[in-house]
Amino acid sequence: MSRGLKATAAFALAVLLAAGCAKGSATRESAPDGKSTIRYFTFSAAPDHLADLDKIIKAFEAANPSVTVTVETAPYADYFTKLQTAIAGNTAPDTFELNYESFVAYAASGALADLSGEAAKDDLSVYAAKSLDTFKRDGRQLALPASYSAVLLFYNKDLFDKAGLPHPTADWTWDQEMAAAKKLTGKGVYGDFQPVQFFEFYKALAQAGGAFFSDDGKRATFNSPQGVAAAKHLLDKPGTVMPTVAQIGGTPDYDTNLFKQGKLAMWHNGIWQFAGLKDVPFQWDVVVEPAPVKASAVFTNAVAVSPGAKNPAAAYKWLRFLTASDVTARTRIDSSWELPPLADAKAYAGYFDQGPPANRRAILDAVASATSPPVIVRQQEMQDTVTKALEQAAAGKTPIQKALDDAAAKVDELIKQA
Amino acid sequence: MTARTTGTRPDAGHAGPSGSGPGDGPVPAGPPRRAKVRKAATVLLFLAPSAVPLVLFTLVPMAGSLWVSLHEWNLIGAMRWTGLGNYAGILRDGDTWRALGNTTLYIAGYLPLVYVGGLGLAMALNRVTRGRDLFRAVYFLPVITSWVVVALIWKWLLNPSEGIVNKLLAVIGVEGPGWWTSDAWALPSVIIAAAWKDLGFVMVILLAGLQAVPAEALEAARVDGANAWQRFRHITLPLLSPSTAFVLVISCISGFQVFDQVYVMTSGGPAAAASEVMVERVYDLTFRYGRVGDASALSWVLFLVILLVTVVQVRLQRRWVNYG
Amino acid sequence: MGNRLVYAALVLAGLVMLAPFGWTVLASLSPGGVVEWPPGGSLGAYGELLRAMPFWRILVNSVVVAALSTGLQVGTSALAAYGFARLEFPGKEAIFVVYLATLMIPMQVLVVPLFIEMRSLDLVDTYAGLLAPTIASGFGVYFLRQAVRQVPRELDEAAVIDGAGHLRVFASVVLPLVRPALATFAIFSFMASWNAFLWPLVILRSPEFMTLPLGLANLHGQFTTEWDVVMAGSVVSVLPILAVYVLAQRHVIAGVARTGLK
Repeated sequence: MSRGLKATAAFALAVLLAAGCAKGSATRESAPDGKSTIRYFTFSAAPDHLADLDKIIKAFEAANPSVTVTVETAPYADYFTKLQTAIAGNTAPDTFELNYESFVAYAASGALADLSGEAAKDDLSVYAAKSLDTFKRDGRQLALPASYSAVLLFYNKDLFDKAGLPHPTADWTWDQEMAAAKKLTGKGVYGDFQPVQFFEFYKALAQAGGAFFSDDGKRATFNSPQGVAAAKHLLDKPGTVMPTVAQIGGTPDYDTNLFKQGKLAMWHNGIWQFAGLKDVPFQWDVVVEPAPVKASAVFTNAVAVSPGAKNPAAAYKWLRFLTASDVTARTRIDSSWELPPLADAKAYAGYFDQGPPANRRAILDAVASATSPPVIVRQQEMQDTVTKALEQAAAGKTPIQKALDDAAAKVDELIKQA
Repeated sequence: MTARTTGTRPDAGHAGPSGSGPGDGPVPAGPPRRAKVRKAATVLLFLAPSAVPLVLFTLVPMAGSLWVSLHEWNLIGAMRWTGLGNYAGILRDGDTWRALGNTTLYIAGYLPLVYVGGLGLAMALNRVTRGRDLFRAVYFLPVITSWVVVALIWKWLLNPSEGIVNKLLAVIGVEGPGWWTSDAWALPSVIIAAAWKDLGFVMVILLAGLQAVPAEALEAARVDGANAWQRFRHITLPLLSPSTAFVLVISCISGFQVFDQVYVMTSGGPAAAASEVMVERVYDLTFRYGRVGDASALSWVLFLVILLVTVVQVRLQRRWVNYG
Repeated sequence: MGNRLVYAALVLAGLVMLAPFGWTVLASLSPGGVVEWPPGGSLGAYGELLRAMPFWRILVNSVVVAALSTGLQVGTSALAAYGFARLEFPGKEAIFVVYLATLMIPMQVLVVPLFIEMRSLDLVDTYAGLLAPTIASGFGVYFLRQAVRQVPRELDEAAVIDGAGHLRVFASVVLPLVRPALATFAIFSFMASWNAFLWPLVILRSPEFMTLPLGLANLHGQFTTEWDVVMAGSVVSVLPILAVYVLAQRHVIAGVARTGLK
């Protein structure tokens, strides 16, 4: 190799190394004079709402010229893997999204900055008080509520009409639902669809009038008679009015496609499905879920500041804007991107008249009887334990009572170990 | 391990006792010491490019995980020293042993299938000339298709009530099993899908090995009256033994770490517990359950198992592997 | 005689191997990803794929990263393979076992310590950080060592007598003879880098660095997924490796023919 060639090679290598070690746009420390950059990590924006989030950021940056917001997204399935690793490596994003189910563990581990100081200087009355309280621990505001969504009963009006059955109403009971489901099942149509898993169970338990934990929160009580009734209600469906796990066969979005094809009369699912059902060729609507005791699943997401954030004040300002500004409320409503956690429902009155479904106000019924998921520090293990127990019972391997007893004993352990 | 280490020892004894210390013996120690330095430099030249990155980016993190295994840690909070507590807990946990059992079963089912199938494909391909490129490409397609898609397809084929496989079985009067939804058949379902996907991988390795089988030797054997089976048994198979040895060792190492396959086929399904494997537990403990200390301890237990199996395999292979 | 039978078996096996890929293509052409008969012919999912992400940029990233990582791994592994097969040095077997041992710990448990290390080297969100763990490969060293050991020693001993040093023997005698193995390993390492998910997920932050598996994962929403787009992405992501594979396989045959080693 000639000397010139060697020099060229060495130069190329140096350039390559420099390029290889160059930071990307999300982590470059290049805030121009006086400006601060806030990193925001989110799972709920991608893939469908990136443009909406961008709109909110533009509005925020216009109102706060000294702050730039950079966004990083990850799909929900991988979001927490990435977030936890970043926190472990001391490179947590300044601000990040969190669902209520994981909030408790993050709060207990000291992974959330206390926002009380900033909040004290601020008027937080725009937020619904209940959702604000959800993210308080020991009197400290550790996150701001960002959005909520509710689970309702979706139903295919055409199928009900064809069968000559009255449409479900807000005062329906479980028995009425089952009776209608049985009549609607047949000829390639299923009457009902409700997955057998933790989130359906905790809600069914509340609907049966039971409690998941003892009052002091130290013991699992879901193996009560109400728990058995709730489990039985869920397990009665597959194989009678709903396809079995074997029939679903791991097909992704099986229930969504079934409903879209007009082959499903009733469907327990969340308001996040509204956008996807815009163009279905039949009439459909929603109603608050049938139950002996009204109880609805309401899921809340929050946003938090990392304790290591360089500019906590700016970070707080950004989160405040992201969660409760008019721009955000309007953007969320226009794009059916969950709902803003505001005290005054008038702020999003337009949302309810958008239709379909016509009865969007059922969401308010659900909120009125909202029951949040039970949460502990070892949340995921608890969820898996309960779901597994239900599956054992569904497969007939264990009687319902015993499956729930075993699961409750395991959950007691998890509560103790945390 | 190295069958030929005694073959050439160019200058092993040259340095002798006198040349061992640096700078002792003014004149005579010169040349041997320089040779020694040169030899060391040669070894470094060949090994350092891989050794340095392996130390930095694999061994250092390995040491890190060993350190983590002595702590209780959920990634987002502080670490708490527990000594060997995680190991004690992991070894007492019935789930560990069940997962290890499932992993072993997986290897026992997967390895023969994939080796015999891959060898069959490689031999058949080695016999034909027309369309060879096309066939190779087609057989390699499953290898490069993502597990997410492969799992979707196999779950659909092995759907207990609507799947093609059970419908075909019904034609011959057999009632098909519940496949990946049943405790007994979940692991076999994964094995079938994994073997199908990896056939092409094994085929490629064995094809590279088969290129080294001299056609003259086979021809000579044919002239001597050896039949196809005898030629295969006494010429091809021995010449293929290094490739076979490699496939066995590597498939065992990766088989003990089987993860994606099981995760996409059965996790979240009704037979998830019945088919749980070691690394699936490691993943869940790390990223879902926030029990990184337990996950690390479990990984080191798995490491010891794999190391033991590999060392035994390599020892045994000295007896039957033939490096021409 | 038996050739027709062999062909029949090959074709049958080919169909079994091909069918799922065919299904993927069909699903990518059907709205919603629900395959029906007759199959849909909509290319909408491919258009959506281009819209949903900076597709070409992502593709280029993936190709560059996979090519670099393959080049590095083949180079470092071939050198070490020669070292283990042809050089004598104390502790050789023990060192080789350490090389193998790097394969025996689940990658899932190394991710966090490795990330912390990268953080202290300030390589988070850089290509260097992405590539660092793929510079060397214990698998590659083991695989290529087998190949080097199968090269008859007489060949390099002849070169040594001619006065060639180890580097010369390596470059001009051994490397050409193990080309089939090099090409095969190149396929594997390209594939591994092409499909890598967990490490890129945690080490990369900036959208302009994104690789294909990360982009495709982003198509999965929390509640709903457009499966036809996912399937289209799956089809598109298979094609480049297929091309690399076909090219490399030709190389295997060409290499064998040129050296006269049959």
